Amino acid sequence: MQPVTITLDQRVVSGHAGMTILEIARESGLDIPTLCHDPNLEPVGACRLCLVENEATGALLASCVTSVAPGMVINTNSSRVVEHRKNIVKLLLASHPDACLICDKGNRCRLQQIATDLGIGFNELEKIPHTAAVEELNAFITRDAAKCVLCGKCIRACQEIVVEGAINYYRRGFATKPATFNDAPLEQSECTFCGLCVAMCPTGALMEKEKPYQGTTRFSVQSTCSYCGCGCPLTLEIKDNQIVRALPGELDLPRQGALCVRGSYGYDYIHSRDRLTRPLLKENGSFKEVSWEEALAVAGAGLKAVKERYGPEALGVYGSSKCTNEENYLLQKFARTVLGTNNIDNGSSLYNFATRVGLDKATGLLSTTNLLEALEQADLILVVGADPPVTAPRLGYAIKRAVKFRQAKLILIEPRRTKLTNFAYQWLRPRPLRDPALLNSMARTVIDEHLYQAEYVNTQTEGFYDLSEALESFRPEVTADLTGVPAGEVRKAARLYALANKAVIVFGSGLTGAVNGTESIKALANLALMTENVWGSGCGLYPVQKENNAQGACEMGSLPGYLPGYQPVADPEVRQSFELFWKKKLPAEPGIPVLEAVSRGRDTPLKALYVIGENLIANFKGPNHNAEALSSLDFMIAQDLFLTETAQYADVVFPAASFAEKEGSFTNFEGKIGWLQQAFPPLGESLPDWEIILRLAREMGDPLPYSSLQQVINEIEEYVPLYEGYYHPEERLGDKWSYWEERRHRALQSLDGFPGFSSPDVLPGPETEPGQYPFYLLLEASIAYFGSGTRSGKAWRLKSYYPPEVLKISPGDADKLSLSGGDQVSIVSPTSRLAAAVEVSEVVPPGTVSLPASFPNVEQLFGAALPGKGETPPPEACYVKLERVNPNG
Amino acid sequence: MDKLIAPPEINMERLGEIVSGYGQQKWSLIPLVQEIQAEFGFIPPAAVPIIAEKLKLFPSEVQGVVSFYEQLYTEPRGRNIVRVCRGTACHVRGGKTILKLVKRQLGLEENETSEDLEYTLETVACLGVCALSPTMVINNQVYGHMNPKKIKEIFKREEGTCS
Repeated sequence: MQPVTITLDQRVVSGHAGMTILEIARESGLDIPTLCHDPNLEPVGACRLCLVENEATGALLASCVTSVAPGMVINTNSSRVVEHRKNIVKLLLASHPDACLICDKGNRCRLQQIATDLGIGFNELEKIPHTAAVEELNAFITRDAAKCVLCGKCIRACQEIVVEGAINYYRRGFATKPATFNDAPLEQSECTFCGLCVAMCPTGALMEKEKPYQGTTRFSVQSTCSYCGCGCPLTLEIKDNQIVRALPGELDLPRQGALCVRGSYGYDYIHSRDRLTRPLLKENGSFKEVSWEEALAVAGAGLKAVKERYGPEALGVYGSSKCTNEENYLLQKFARTVLGTNNIDNGSSLYNFATRVGLDKATGLLSTTNLLEALEQADLILVVGADPPVTAPRLGYAIKRAVKFRQAKLILIEPRRTKLTNFAYQWLRPRPLRDPALLNSMARTVIDEHLYQAEYVNTQTEGFYDLSEALESFRPEVTADLTGVPAGEVRKAARLYALANKAVIVFGSGLTGAVNGTESIKALANLALMTENVWGSGCGLYPVQKENNAQGACEMGSLPGYLPGYQPVADPEVRQSFELFWKKKLPAEPGIPVLEAVSRGRDTPLKALYVIGENLIANFKGPNHNAEALSSLDFMIAQDLFLTETAQYADVVFPAASFAEKEGSFTNFEGKIGWLQQAFPPLGESLPDWEIILRLAREMGDPLPYSSLQQVINEIEEYVPLYEGYYHPEERLGDKWSYWEERRHRALQSLDGFPGFSSPDVLPGPETEPGQYPFYLLLEASIAYFGSGTRSGKAWRLKSYYPPEVLKISPGDADKLSLSGGDQVSIVSPTSRLAAAVEVSEVVPPGTVSLPASFPNVEQLFGAALPGKGETPPPEACYVKLERVNPNG
Repeated sequence: MDKLIAPPEINMERLGEIVSGYGQQKWSLIPLVQEIQAEFGFIPPAAVPIIAEKLKLFPSEVQGVVSFYEQLYTEPRGRNIVRVCRGTACHVRGGKTILKLVKRQLGLEENETSEDLEYTLETVACLGVCALSPTMVINNQVYGHMNPKKIKEIFKREEGTCS
């Protein structure tokens, strides 16, 4: 870039062509006040506070939108500039209420700070107050247009970063204000309460509404959000051991640092009154609070007794995709070396199963094959069975940005109408469970029409010939009747994908949670591989992860068949190397997936279970079997923030600390590491999970050799592949992201030979007759309800934002059953029945109905989670029939 | 004038036809809303989401543009547009009183439309015929040298032609 030198307040400074005067000034340490400028937003030059003087022409320029020119002589602080700046602030103050004393923005207000810096006291200008109030019922954001300075940051944040477009300028001149469509309250608009506008607002115009704790921040820590797999960097502002505010992380990437409603307002559960503060012991069916010594003694003795009586294979440990990497590492080591069993699992392992099998052969990597920032370089985005704006908002923002600002084409394969539908170039709505047939037909088209990268396929991949044979029966014209998607549409989508310069694929629980998800994911991997779209900027496969450490828990070896780094426990060499590291004998037989063990109900092979941070009962469908299994155990320990449905079955309950109260790291769905910084000590007597594990091991007479978390981190750096130097990647590699590159390369090396195609195992079957249960019931994720609601249900602001508890049915189906909105129906599945009110909605296609995931007891409708040989993830959908409930009897 | 007429039903089919004539380009927005206004006399709020979906804009964005321009209306307007001049020359010759009397005559405030959609009352900054001040325009007809008596007469005549 062309270097440019200018004179700034008598100092010669240099930058490069294209920089603005403001950027060059801030880089050289000069502070020019601004209200409307933010480096993450397009500059608009609205507030005019940043004006500077061009000495040669005398012109006053808004420095945030004026590029530097060689030889410019600029004064940022001359008396003329200051005079003008003061006038602008006075004019702003003339229409601003004198409410600073009672304004919660307090000394964080930029307007107040700037007025103070300029020495503006009494304002002689006549006051013309704005009066505007919108009644808001939501629990998150309150707006006061009287305090708005029209900097437009909120509007730009909403349009440019989260691409929700809920607000825009409304009217003109003095009457202008940011408003929603029809000037409605936020809860009636497109707003998802991501909180970015509140975080960016320089004044008190946009404020957090019903905060659990008021007051002035004493200090802040950098943390990582504890909800979804995006693992967004988070700044927590703290006072008196309470979170005052959660904001986007300070070190987040430019233009990517946006949270969602969970990140911004979902932390309330940390301060819930329902938190466990002391260990609990069950006596005669009810819990009593006991000391740690007593609880640990009972827990240790309980585990020992079962081990002595039934052997170590009767013990099971269920770790958590919400716990840190370090805790998962310790837990699997505890299970394997202290308890002597491979029966260790984590909540995400089943959801990841389809992904693991589907992607392994093609990529060797069990996470995304690229970074999120690379997704925005794509020309085409294929989203299948995923609703990222709800399940992984950060990914959703990136997709929407790519479509809106880079004209990327979006192909959406999704039966329900979602937020992404409006962004879609092409929207395909396959029939339930027909994604594999549809995706294989796309692959068939790519092969038939010779749209694949022949040279790459021939020289650098394996199994293409077999695949094209196997796809013979998947011509779109043949599968159209089955999938319900016309052949022309399938061919169009296949051509768009194959002919795009750079294409990415995003898939989610619509596939990973379907009984035939593995087949779909294999088809996607094939598509990406044959078009050479697996690696490289703007290319890749992006599986959406549900929990924030789903990736890390698996990589740390909280899996029955794998030691840390996805190394198979059945491999004697791998085992030997860990036996050498840990100086302990390791069990050779791979363990049983815990979910499989408990889904056998009373026949469970387990006699004792140690559950950490997972809610087996609420999280997995078919709870009756799980409950039977838990009540038939001889001994159970639960470790959680709350006395969950699952913890109720435990003999001993350990109170755990929340993410804000401990240190450690999470690995997000891209494989990026996010660190936690402790904000305040654990509540009451609760302890971080890692410390409880260490104490329990000590209690069992087999202490793990660590006296601090740092020692665990050091060991992970040394022994876990892909995690070398993860504590301070910058020190070793210069920057964080080359750490990620290295990780990816190593994964590719782990493949035996070339990346391979996987042929489908299932041929397109005949169309099934609608049997006794004609409707396919989908669970609709919502942004406020997370997982099984253990945490979001205790975060009361989130809870207030749960969707209405209604059954959505398409207008055609409603007509057929003569149902109209508000009618009561019984939803009958082979296992159970539930009553619900009906909402007629275009969101669902004919033949499909949907319930919100937060609907009480909805999991009872689903069949038991029977993973079989670990090949099928638990279904998140099932067939049902509807019976009208006659209001008269 | 007492008889109330319901606001015109929006022919959604016709609206769809107009919208379908435009491409996905951002610049289509203003010509499109102008055509809608030419058809319906105003831009019905119900049209905004339809326009937004077609042009791949946000409804709030479309509303932002529509609410910015004085010449785009979001409410139905009267069959007769009455504009009273508020310019300096008219003002010094009693324009303010003329406006007050017209308001009283029509029972309308500025920028209001009568319930029967007969009249919309607006003001205008200057008509450029200050020699005739104080002035008023009804549709395309300019009335000069306004006085209270004349107001009564004009509206009597107007009603005669309208009903």
